[in-house]
Amino acid sequence: MRILKSWRYPGNWPFFRFDDRLLLILMAAIVGNFSGLASVALNRGLLLMSEWLHHFRHYWWVFVLPAIGAALSSLFLEKIVKEGAGHGVPEVIYSVSRYGGLLRFRSSFSRLISSCLTIGSGGSAGPEAPVVISGAAIGSNIAKYFSLNDRQRVTLVGCGAAGAISSIFNAPIAGMVFAIEVIVGEWKSVNIVPIAIASVAGTEISRILQGNQIPFRHHLFKIDLLNIFACLGLAVLAAAAVILLTRMLRSMHTVSHKVSAPVWIRAAIGGCAVGVIGLFLPVVLGDGYHSVEILIEGEYGQILTVVALASFAKIAATALTLGWGGSGGIFAPCLVIGSLVGVTYHHLLALFMPSISWVNEGYFALLGMAGLISGMLQAPLTGIFLIIEITGGWEVILPLIMVSAVTTTLCRYFEPASYYLKDLVEHGHLLRPGTDARVLSDLTVPELIERDCITVNQNMLLRDFIAIIKKSHRNYFPVADEKTGDFLGIIHLDDIRPHLFNPVMYDAVFLGQIMNTQVETVHPDDDLLDVLRTMDMKSLFSMPVVLNNKFLGLISKATILDQYRKELMVQTSHQE
Amino acid sequence: MKLTINEVAQCLRLSISTVERWIRQGRIPIQKTDTGYLFNESTLEKWAAMYKLPFSLPDKFEKKFKEKKSENLLPAMKRGGLLYNIKGENVEAVLKDAVENIYFLPVSFKEELYRRLLEREHLTSTGIGKGVAIPHPPDPLQGTLSNALISTCFLEKPIDFNAVDGKPVFVMFILLSPSTKTHLHLLSRLSFCIRDDAFVEFLKTSPDSAAFFLNIADFENRLIKGEGY
Repeated sequence: MRILKSWRYPGNWPFFRFDDRLLLILMAAIVGNFSGLASVALNRGLLLMSEWLHHFRHYWWVFVLPAIGAALSSLFLEKIVKEGAGHGVPEVIYSVSRYGGLLRFRSSFSRLISSCLTIGSGGSAGPEAPVVISGAAIGSNIAKYFSLNDRQRVTLVGCGAAGAISSIFNAPIAGMVFAIEVIVGEWKSVNIVPIAIASVAGTEISRILQGNQIPFRHHLFKIDLLNIFACLGLAVLAAAAVILLTRMLRSMHTVSHKVSAPVWIRAAIGGCAVGVIGLFLPVVLGDGYHSVEILIEGEYGQILTVVALASFAKIAATALTLGWGGSGGIFAPCLVIGSLVGVTYHHLLALFMPSISWVNEGYFALLGMAGLISGMLQAPLTGIFLIIEITGGWEVILPLIMVSAVTTTLCRYFEPASYYLKDLVEHGHLLRPGTDARVLSDLTVPELIERDCITVNQNMLLRDFIAIIKKSHRNYFPVADEKTGDFLGIIHLDDIRPHLFNPVMYDAVFLGQIMNTQVETVHPDDDLLDVLRTMDMKSLFSMPVVLNNKFLGLISKATILDQYRKELMVQTSHQE
Repeated sequence: MKLTINEVAQCLRLSISTVERWIRQGRIPIQKTDTGYLFNESTLEKWAAMYKLPFSLPDKFEKKFKEKKSENLLPAMKRGGLLYNIKGENVEAVLKDAVENIYFLPVSFKEELYRRLLEREHLTSTGIGKGVAIPHPPDPLQGTLSNALISTCFLEKPIDFNAVDGKPVFVMFILLSPSTKTHLHLLSRLSFCIRDDAFVEFLKTSPDSAAFFLNIADFENRLIKGEGY
C-alpha cells in the first residue's frame, strides 16, 4: 500500500531525495514523448484539414474559408476552453518566471485544436507555438501529478517545449536551444541535460511515426567570399522585415480591439481579409511549408515585383490572422517571409550587379529564414540551429551565423524586446532567474516582517513610555487605539529625543500628541518592488505593515538586504 | 537531535514562510509529504555551506537564561562577602589590603586584580559620591570568573578617594563581573541603592552581614516591583 501511494511522489524516494538529476532525466523522457505525440497529432490534423478542404479550393467563395476557420477557433478558445487568443508562448514564459511553470491541463490540447482550425482553413500562422504551449502544459501537468517542486516543474516545462519543437521540425538541437534560450532563460546543466533528453525523445517519436526526413531539402550551394559578404545586405533587409512584422502585428492588435464586435467576428474579419489576399497570392495561405520548400529549391520563378509583393502580403496576412484573433504561432510565417525576403534580395542583387554570378536564390532564401527567426525571437542560436537542422545546410553555416547575429543586433535597436517578450517586459512580468526583479518578486512582505515591536496606545504618558523604551531594543513604536486596537501612527525614538531628558514633560505629554500619523504603510500583499520604491522616494528605512487597520509588524531595509542576499545566493551561486 | 521545520528556519535565520517557499520552489533539500517534511540534517548543513548560508543551532536562549541567573545583586554580594576594617591611608593601600583580604581569590590572580583596579582608578576615580566607591577592573574578567561578585569593604577610617563630590570614602564595593552586560546591570542596581540616603547612613554603621543582606533583599524587591526602574 505504501509503495502504491509513494509512486506518485518520486521526489520523496530516498534515491532521488537529494539529487534529482536522474529523476528529472526520467521525467524528461516521458514529457518529451508526450509533447512529441502532441506535435505529431497537430501535424496529422493539419494534413487532414488541408486534404479535406482541398475540394473547395476552386470555388469562388473560397476566401471565406479562413474566416470560418478563424471564427471557429476563436469561438472554441473563448467559449469552450476559456483561454485567450494568441500563440501562448508569452504565457508559458510568464508562468515560468512567476508561477514556477504552473499551466492548466486544458492548455495541453486547446491550442492544438484552435490552431488546427485557423491554419488548416488557410489562416497565415504556424503550428509551432501551439505545439510549444501544449508541450509545456504537458510537462507542467506531469510535474504536478508527481508532486515535483517549482524548479523541477520549470525544467519539465522546458522539456515539453523542447520535445515539441524537436518533434515538429525533426530538429533536436533547435528544440533544445529554443527551450533554453527562449523559455527557461537559464543555461545551467540542471536544465540542459533533461531538456536535451526530452529533445531526443520528441525527435525519436516523430521519426518513428513520420519517418526521418529533413523538412526542407535543397541543393548544395557553392559559396565564395563575395556571397558571404552579400549576406550582410540581406541581414539589413531581414531586420526591416522583422520590424515591419512586429509593428504590424501590434497595430493590427490595437485596431482590432477598437472594433466593438465579439471576438469571433473580429477573427472572421481578419480571416476574410487573409482569404482575399490568398485569392491573388496563394503563397500567403496556411503554414506555408510547401512554399518554403519551393523557395529553397530556387524554383519559385517569379519576377522581382511579385516576390516583393508576396513578402509584404505574407507579413500583412500574418498580422491579419494573429492580430485579429486567429490562433497560431509566428515560426512558420517567419520562415515563409524570410525565404521570400531572401529571394527578393537575390533578385535585387541580380538587378543591380548583373555581371556577378550569384549563387542560387535558394541560398538567400535559407539565410533570410535564419534572419527572420533570429530577429523575431531575438534568439540567434535558435535561428542558427533551426535553419541548419531543417535544411541540412551545414555548408552555409558561416553566412548563416553572420545573418543571425547581425539581424538580431539590428532588431534590438528598434525593438528592445522580442515579439514573445515585449508584452511581458512592458508589464514587468519578465523575471529571468537570478535577476533583481526575480529576487524581489520571490520575496514577500510576510517573510520580511519583524514582529518584535512593542505596541503602545495613544493615551499613554511619556513617563510610562520611557519605561517601555528601556525594555525594547527597537527604535520604532507603533501606536494602536486603546479600545479598537486600530493602528493610529508610529513613534520613532527621534520624536521623543528632545523630551527624553526633561522630566517636566514626563507627565505632561501623551503619546497621541507626539506620534506620527502621516505614515506610509505597507500591505502584506504589496509588491516588494513598490515598497522599496516608496522607501527610496521618501527616504525611509522602516515602514509599518498594516492589514485591516491592525499593525502586523515592521519592514526595514536592513532585513530586506539580509534576506535579499540569501535569496540571491540560493538562486544564483554555485549550481552545477 | 531531530530538528523540526521551525528549528531549521531558526538555524538559517529565516522566517518559516521563506523556508516553506524554498521547499515549494525546490531550492532547499527538504521534501514535503502529506504528513510533514522529509530532510536530513547533515545534507542540509552541506547544502547551507555550499550556498554560504549561515546554519547553526540557535543557542541564544540558553545564553540568555544563564545571564538572567547572575543578574541579581544579592547573590553577587553573598558571593563577594563583607570585609571590615580595611586599613590604609590612600587609595593604593586600601585597594591592596582589600584584595589581600578577599580570601577566595587565588594568589596569582590577586596581583593582577590589584594592578587592574589601580589602572581603572588612574582613568578616573570610582568614588561615586556620598562616601561610596565602586572599584572595578576597566574591562570584564572574561574566563577567570564564571559569576559576578561584589565584595563590600568597610574602611577602618574614611580616606580621600578623589570622589566626584570630594567626600572621603568609607565603603567600597569591589565589583567583578564576567561580562560588560552583567557589569552595567549590577552597577545600575547598586547605584539605585546608594541613591537612597537612609541606606548610606545605614552603611556608615558597618552593619553585620545578616542586616546588610536583609536591606539589599528589600531593595531588590523594590526593583522587581518596578519602582524607578
